[in-house]
Formats: sequence, structure tokens, C-alpha cells
Amino acid sequence: MSTKHSKAAEEFQANKGLAAWHDETLWMVRAKRDKMSKQLPEWEHLRDMACAIKMYSNSHLDQLLTEFEKNAQANGAHVYWAKDATEYCSIVYNILKGHNVKHFIKSKSMLAEECGLNEFLEEKGVEVVESDLGERILQLMHKKPSHIVMPAIHIKKEEIGELFVREMNTEPGNNDQTYLTHAARKNLRHKFIEAEAAMTGANFAVASTGECVVCTNEGNADMGTSQPKLQITAFGMEKIVPDRDSLGVFTRLLARSGTGQPITTYTSHYRKPRPGGELHIIIVDNGRSRILAEQDHIKTLNCLRCGACMNTCPVYRRSGGYSYTYFIPGPIGINLGMLKAPLHYYDNVSACSLCHSCQNVCPAKVDLADQIYRWRQKLDSLGVASSAKKTMSGGMKFLMERPELFNFALKNAPIVNAMPRWMLYNSLNDWGKEHEMPRFAKESFNDMWKKNKVK
Amino acid sequence: MKVGLFIPCYINAVYPQVGVASYKLLKSLGVNVDYPLDQTCCGQPMANAGFEDESVKLAKRFDHLFEQYDYIVGPSASCVVFVRDNYGRLLSNEQHRCQSEGKIYDICEFIHDVIKPASLPASFPHKVSIQNSCHGVRLMHLSSPSELNIPYYNKLRDLLSLVKDIEIVEPERPDECCGFGGMFAVEEHAVSGQMGRDKVNRHIATGAEYIAGADSSCLMHQSGIIARENLPIKTIHVVEILASGL
Amino acid sequence: MSSREDILQSIRRNTRVRYEKPDYAPLEEEATRYPDLEARFKEIMTQVGGQAVTLKKGDDINQVIKSLYPEARRIASTVDEVTTSDGKKLAITCATFHPDDVETPGELDGTDLAIIDGRIGVGENGAVWIQQDVEQRAIYFISEALVILLDRRNLVSNMHEAYKRIDTGEYGYGVFISGPSKTADIEQALVMGAHGARSVTVILV
Repeated sequence: MSTKHSKAAEEFQANKGLAAWHDETLWMVRAKRDKMSKQLPEWEHLRDMACAIKMYSNSHLDQLLTEFEKNAQANGAHVYWAKDATEYCSIVYNILKGHNVKHFIKSKSMLAEECGLNEFLEEKGVEVVESDLGERILQLMHKKPSHIVMPAIHIKKEEIGELFVREMNTEPGNNDQTYLTHAARKNLRHKFIEAEAAMTGANFAVASTGECVVCTNEGNADMGTSQPKLQITAFGMEKIVPDRDSLGVFTRLLARSGTGQPITTYTSHYRKPRPGGELHIIIVDNGRSRILAEQDHIKTLNCLRCGACMNTCPVYRRSGGYSYTYFIPGPIGINLGMLKAPLHYYDNVSACSLCHSCQNVCPAKVDLADQIYRWRQKLDSLGVASSAKKTMSGGMKFLMERPELFNFALKNAPIVNAMPRWMLYNSLNDWGKEHEMPRFAKESFNDMWKKNKVK
Repeated sequence: MKVGLFIPCYINAVYPQVGVASYKLLKSLGVNVDYPLDQTCCGQPMANAGFEDESVKLAKRFDHLFEQYDYIVGPSASCVVFVRDNYGRLLSNEQHRCQSEGKIYDICEFIHDVIKPASLPASFPHKVSIQNSCHGVRLMHLSSPSELNIPYYNKLRDLLSLVKDIEIVEPERPDECCGFGGMFAVEEHAVSGQMGRDKVNRHIATGAEYIAGADSSCLMHQSGIIARENLPIKTIHVVEILASGL
Repeated sequence: MSSREDILQSIRRNTRVRYEKPDYAPLEEEATRYPDLEARFKEIMTQVGGQAVTLKKGDDINQVIKSLYPEARRIASTVDEVTTSDGKKLAITCATFHPDDVETPGELDGTDLAIIDGRIGVGENGAVWIQQDVEQRAIYFISEALVILLDRRNLVSNMHEAYKRIDTGEYGYGVFISGPSKTADIEQALVMGAHGARSVTVILV
């Protein structure tokens, strides 16, 4: 009984030291989040409000997106609509081609990851430079993010030190985090200055003003967009919020939930193009409008991409981002993957003990665990339920629907206790790999009751 | 007030003493308690594994079995909350309305919220570390979840505080999942096992002699870990402690 | 049909229930407020890795800036003159250039210190609203250090209050800055100075 996730998790656990470090480090972020959230007595009301605003926004996307478009155009921005990943990538490419851009700098965008933008552009000969430190490290290593907010959380500083010796001429053996970060600062500064275009995602798009809001700690989005005069900003359409007052709610929740900071260092509001510059905004669907019809899963559109559900998830912390087959890991990734293509991503549905902690940390109250439970119910009709689990479940059903048989089993179960170890603990018994088997009581409660021994 | 005692399948088979303690405890509190025979399983294991439909017949049986009682009380927060949160939906196609969901209680919740005893004759001169189980905490609200910004409360601690000579502690990461999760423990055994070892070690770090919880399933998982790793701690159900003087 | 129409049609077809817009007022009402805002602001500025100092009566602002950043040689200022909360006008004379004196924003690289104007400061998180007021907004990010001048009467408690008072102005750009640029991308070790300013001081005037 296994899934791609459980196998990858087992491999992750094979390196006990790294696995324990991963768990501890992300738990520390969860603890910081707890501390931050507890500084605000109104915290739970903020979460309720964030959820209510998202439910409103996502049920008025037609109105809010056209309002945004009208305002953005009035601000002097060009607005594009992309149905899917290919259209989004093509729009970006055409803008770059139209401006003869050879050097392109980009801040972190999960939408770009979702749509495979970098691969698309590089195939067409555009050099893409990731400017977020974590993303840059991964780009140079040709690796993918393992977390949506802390993309390089799984990589040790020694590996980064070696990488920077090759890429940035740092001193061999100097793996000090401050030293390495400042080396990247110096190296990337030139990239910012030589870029002919900069791109950002957006944390929020405000309908009433037509502005896009981007939150970073490093300042990379602003370093990019304040150098070249050509700016491209793209967002998945569920990033729309009605007005600035709603930003008051979300900016209080986002960083507190995600990284345990009171706010990100930079919360940038891009409303107009720079003087003499251009601002191109792309609104992307790529499957989102389809989710609107899925009442059981619609709240996934509330997601702020803060990563809090990953940090709290006991399974994510102990299996790492790469153990999931969808590019977004953790509880939200399990659900988004299933919405994207259930037959491709159903292996992740096993990665949940239904502890429900994710639902409690989510700033926009996405019912993550409830949705995973619902997906499990659908696996059988999708034809991808685990046959071993199905057999076990069916066997239990058969037994439990027959009290006489159950009682017979109860009477005879203690025989198992006396079985030799090799019969109990073999490769077929996954329980036995981690634990001893429970010992059956000599007399079940039913027997004791019938013999009048329960007094 | 007629109470029907609900003994989940694995308690019946593995931990009958928890059933005995539950019965004795309720009796001693003056509750008219009876045990309807022919109970098997509430259907949670199948449902959590993704086969909710296979629980429908069991839900129907269960609902029928406890028809005549004012309350259904069982010593397993997880099973109880499964009935409470899911039977209504599972039985929505049936003729009569499901009654169980409205009258089922976990035994600790029942004693804490309904019976409200001011004292208990129990004595337990040991240090215990509370196992705040996920479904007990986050679905049944037996204690304040660590994630929420709400005032601290813990119904298990309240009840254990009525016991003489006991010392009560909670582990670091007080309500992190122990990794049981039904078939999760088998399908994702590597992660589940690590979660279990981490949990048990945090209980041990408190210096407690016992891990005390309201969910025998979490305790069964942790007992299996303790036995495999030869760890210096034991598990016990909260009702066994509460009934210790009886 | 255009993608725009396709998408809008798909949204309309799939939208099932339209939820009402919630009323923010009760939450805004209930939001945390700090009785001593100035003290709170200073405390939170330290927590976010920066600092806030109060300009005392009779202090020479240029001297204060110089003593904070004695090593700074190339100093930009977007502010010519600052008006203190008690109505005094103080000229900023310690700057060596204006950021719009350069041809391209890249030339701002190597700026040791930028003195800029903060509009609103937020007690709950140390964020200060900067409304773009020069053509080269790169100066807010590219400089090694930032001094933000902020009228102490423009401190508010929380983001709800802040959003009611900010604007993006004629340049159509504004940013909340809360302390120095930072990252924890290497093993979660906090490092100041990822891409933007390594050091941020807010001077409350």
C-alpha cells in the first residue's frame, strides 16, 4: 500500500538529520506565526473577514475584473486576458519581443511556475533572471521550489556556498549566510541594471484603483521595476480584491501567517507606468473560472499563497516539498493539484492524516482538510483508489456489518498475539515497519459484558 | 436520562478495560447507563480512507441500535465526532432523520459538559502528559487549538484536575498530530511513524510516566511506537484515570 | 471570440452563489490601537530590524543624520525642507545630490544614503508609506541606507487606518516600507540587505 507521495516521503525520511532539520525549521516558522497572530486580539475576526471578502470577490469576478480593467487602462496600463498557460506565456513573450528584450528580470511568481513561463521564454532565447534569492539559487541549481514562500528551504548552506563559488566567485568554504546573501546582492544588482524589462506577479489586484500590489521582503520586485521602463505584471484572477480597505485586512494577515512577520518589508502599489515607461498587466484564468462551479472546492480560490498550511502540516514538514507531484506542495497543493488534473495528481491525497491544523492556520479559511477528505471519497469513482485500501475497507465493511462474525473475530483475535514474529512482521505489514502490533485482549468488552463481568 | 454506551470496535478488541472504566465511571456518577449489544464499528476507518459509502449501512445500524437512548456516550473522541459530523449526510437518503448526530458525546465531553461533577473519588499519584488528539481538539473542541487566538481551555485537564495526587502536563507542540490517521498510518507509514516517534518523545521530555488521552486510537499508535522503540512511558485513557478509585 | 469574452463568459456560467460584500466597519472599529503610538512605533521598528528616533526640539537635523550615518559620502535627498510637528521649517543640507539629477536609474547604484519623505507610519508593523515624489523611484530601494522623515502626527495604529489616508499620487506608485530589506532564504537565517536598503532609520519630526 503506497503512493508516489508515500514512497518519496520514505526516501526523504531516510536522511534522518535533514528530515529532522526540515521539520524543526518549518515548525519554528509556525511558532512565529502563532506569536504574531496572538498579538492581535481581533485575529479570528480578521480571518473571518478575509474569508468573507474572498467569497464576495470570487463570486463577483466578472464585475470586479472589468472594473479593474477599466481603471487600469485609465491609469495608462495595457491589460491582457489569458485563458490558459500558453496564452499567458505567449503574451509575455510577444511584449518582450516587441521591445527587443534580451535581458529579463523577474520576481517570484507562483503563476509563472504554474504556467512554465521561464522554460517557455528560454526556449525562445530570452534570458530570464530570477531575483528572489531563493528562486535565484534554485534557478542556478536547475531545481524547482519546494515551498511557495521559502522556495529553497530544503537546501543546505554548504550546497549554496559551493554553487556561489562557481557562479559568483565567492571564497571557497565561506558558507556564512550573510556573506552569501550579500554576494548575491552584488551579483544581481548588475542584472537589475542591465535588464530591459522586469516582471512581477501580484498578491492583490485592486478593482477600485486598477493597481497591483506586490509584497516582498527583499525588495527585488521594486529593484526590478524601478530600473527598466518596461514592467509586466501578471496575476491569477482570484487575486482581485474590491478596494483598498480590503488591503487593510489582507496586509495584516499575509506576512503574519506566512513568515511570522508583522508585514512584509515592502508592500508595493503599482498603479501607473513609470514616466516614459509601459505597464502591461495580464489577467490569467488557466482553470480558475472552472473552479467557481465546484462548490465543494471553491474556497481554494480564497488562498493567499502565504504557505502557512505547509508550515503547520505535520506531513509536509516530514516529507518535504519534492515528495508531492504537484508544483505546489502541502495541503493547498494537494487540493489545487486535484482541481488541475485529478488523474495526474491523486498520489498526493494520501499525504494527510486529517489533523485539520491547516484549516486553523489559513488566513482566508480555506477548508483544506475537509476538501482532502472529499477528494478521497472521489478517488474510487475516478478509478484510482488504492486497491489494497479498497480491499481492506471492503473487508472491514463485510465484518462490521455482521455482528456475529465480528464477535467471532473478537473471540479469536487473541490468537494473533501468539503468532511468531516473522508471521506478524514481514514486508506485507506496513504497520509493523514502524510499530509493534496492538495486543488483543484475552476477553473483548462484548464477552465481558455478556458474562456480566462489567460492573 | 438513559445513556447508551458506545464502545468502538478497536476498544472492544484491544482496550476492553477502557470500556469497563467508562461504564463504572458513568454508573458512579449516577448515570443510567446500558450497553446495547451487537455494536461493531462506526465506519470512520473506511470513510477516512475514501470509502464513505461503505459506512452507510453501519451508520444505519448504529442509529437504530441507539434509538431508545437519550444520549450516546463513547470513550473515543474521533469515532464520536465522526458520527456527529457525518452521519446526517451519510443517512440523508434514508426515510427517517438521523438521530445519533444530535445526542452523541465523547465521554470526557459528556462528563465535563453535561454531568459536571464537582469532585471525583479518584486518585492517581503519577505525572501524566495530555494527548490532545486532533479530532478531539479541532473537531470536538475538547481544548483550545494552538493555532487559534482564543482563550486557553482544556476539558481533559479540567477533568484530570479533579483527581487527587496527579500531576498534569502538556507536551511541547501540545496538539501536533501523532500520526495515526487510520489507514494513513499504513499507507504513509514512514511519515506516520516519524510523527509518532516525535510525539512520544515530546511526551517523554515532560518527565511524565503516562500519556493520557481521550482517543484510544492515538494511544494505540503511540503504544506500538513505545513497544518497538522500548521507550520509558506508558499510555492510558483518561477515563481509566478518572475511574481509578472505583 | 476574444479571450476576454471567453473568460468572462466562463466566469458567469460557473458562478453559482453571489456572496454579499461584508461590512468592514465592525472589524476596523475593533482593530488594535496603541495608546502611546510613538513608543509603540519605536519598539516595532527595532523588531523589524530598523530604528526610529525622535528629533528633539533644537536638534540640528543634518547633524542627527550625519551622526547616524557618519560613513555616508554619496547622499541623495528627495526632501529640501522638512516641517516639524511644531511648525518649524528645517532645511536638509547634508545631501550631495537629488535623485532626479541622474540620466538613468542605474547611476543611483552606489548611493550610500537616501533621505526620503514618509507620509504615514503604522504602529502595528513599522510600515511607512512612501508616495513616489521623484521620477527615479529606484532611489528608495537602491540606496545602501534610508532615512525616512516622518511627521510624528502622522502615526496611525493599524493598516485599516493607514489605507484610509494613503494615495499613490501623480506618479501612480506608493510603497509601505517596514525596516530594511531582508531575506531568510538560506536556511532561514535572517540577513539584512537582500536587495534594498541594509539599514532604515525613521526620524520622527
